[in-house]
Amino acid sequence: MRQILLITDGCSNVGVSPVVAAAHAQSEGITVNVVGVLDQEEAVDYGAPEIHEIARAGGGLSRMVAMRELARTVQMMTRKTVMHTIQSAVHKELQQVFGATSLEELSPDKRGEVVRVIDELGETSPLEVALLIDTSASMKPKMKAVEEAIHDLMLSLQARQGKSRISVFRFPGSRHGAECAQVLEWTDSAAGLPSLFAKITMQGTTPTGPALMHVIDFYRQDKYGRDNREETDGMRSGNVG
Amino acid sequence: MATSVEPRLAPGTVIAGKWNQNRYRIERLLGEGANGRVYLVERERVLYAFKVGADAVDLQSEVNVLKSLAQRQRGEEAFLVDVDDYKGTDGREHPFYVMRYVRGSSLSDYLNREGADWFPLVGFHLLNKLAGLHGSGWVFGDLKLENVLVGDYGRAQLVDYGGVSEIGKSVRQFTEIYDRGYWSAGSRSADPQYDLFSYAVLCVQLFEGKRLAELTRTLLPQNRVPEELMKLIQGNPALKPFAGWLRKALQGSHTDSREAAAAWQRLAHRPGKRRRTRTPRWMRRLLLGSALLFAASMIWLIRTGL
Repeated sequence: MRQILLITDGCSNVGVSPVVAAAHAQSEGITVNVVGVLDQEEAVDYGAPEIHEIARAGGGLSRMVAMRELARTVQMMTRKTVMHTIQSAVHKELQQVFGATSLEELSPDKRGEVVRVIDELGETSPLEVALLIDTSASMKPKMKAVEEAIHDLMLSLQARQGKSRISVFRFPGSRHGAECAQVLEWTDSAAGLPSLFAKITMQGTTPTGPALMHVIDFYRQDKYGRDNREETDGMRSGNVG
Repeated sequence: MATSVEPRLAPGTVIAGKWNQNRYRIERLLGEGANGRVYLVERERVLYAFKVGADAVDLQSEVNVLKSLAQRQRGEEAFLVDVDDYKGTDGREHPFYVMRYVRGSSLSDYLNREGADWFPLVGFHLLNKLAGLHGSGWVFGDLKLENVLVGDYGRAQLVDYGGVSEIGKSVRQFTEIYDRGYWSAGSRSADPQYDLFSYAVLCVQLFEGKRLAELTRTLLPQNRVPEELMKLIQGNPALKPFAGWLRKALQGSHTDSREAAAAWQRLAHRPGKRRRTRTPRWMRRLLLGSALLFAASMIWLIRTGL
């Protein structure tokens, strides 16, 4: 299972539309969730329509939240998406095995069986989450909360029985005009998650679409690498900049 | 993947189950949990708790847990009564399940009404409930004040089984301030110590709720450690006698929850300077009254005898 979790606070303003990019992700079996971080006390969510659109195209969830809600939201969304991904897969099976189009058509007894399988898979299926963090200037006061949320997500994923790992990307990438850069390679441990954004200079543009494309590409190459080399840790350093 | 929020069911509405054909009359809304709403309902003059889920899978998961609990804990009354669907006014099918209705009040209401003297006993009952779950291979997960009901004589009940998780798996549902991970005190894997940690936070929440809320507002994530909770415990007269026990709970060093419950009970019984046992005024009056009565009757006896 593959997810991209986009954390942003505004509208994209450079490059390909993020909605198109999210639709690309969806077509490759990657679910895109989006969290919009609101400014403190300020309920101006001018970015909201785009955020919801991106998630819809990416087959995922979207929420606008205050900073203190961030960790909980990220954790909850990831979990829900896992369950949803499995449910969609199971629904296909349902049709073949029981001729039912939805869970509600099954008798409570059969439903119990199916949900047991869903729960089991939700707990044990391997999961990869690429976090894509908006580090444009307006996000600066929110980075502490973002780091905390990443840490918290890792804590929840570690408790799963299935193999789970995260990687972190930020956009824009650097002063040299890169759209996106990896700041944390695949990891399955929360222990010693470095202070990710401490040294980063936060700056202007918000190339959400190109950054999404970059992460999809990363996933694609990662898969390609693993398929070819048959290595369990088919990761690449992915430093673009 | 929108989660459907069905309209609230008005009192008086009659719900007919699709599979089992039972009919329930809605009395009132009892509460709203993470996965749905719980109503008080009536069927053939018996009251039940009736839970409607927003999501069929989540609700069914809960039902699976309840069923498996009923199998493993035969001593307990079966609290799962019915599992079914009904067609809402919106034309959609809504899954529901029906449980035995547990009358009770919240822990804080109970202690306010009956007195804080009941706290050690209620705590013991609660720990026993948790130990029972642990013994059957489950962890409650989302232990918090809202999920505890207290009946007569301090009998505590756990309600809302949405967080119940199999030992060894991840905790399905939790509330931040009660969460071991949130306080940098361990993982979110379901083990008995996870519940005991939440139990310790629950005690703090009960007696130092304001200070606890203040802590969670002001502490930086890296400073959220059990030691901060210990400070609140040490400073509270009701919690202080249990400080050693609570520390072990926060550190995850209670190895067995039955033993932990027993240790709690021993503390609750410990006589000594902790309580200034003053005889209640009514008892002193009663004693005085009976002494006077005794004296009077003696005088009367002596006089008539002579």
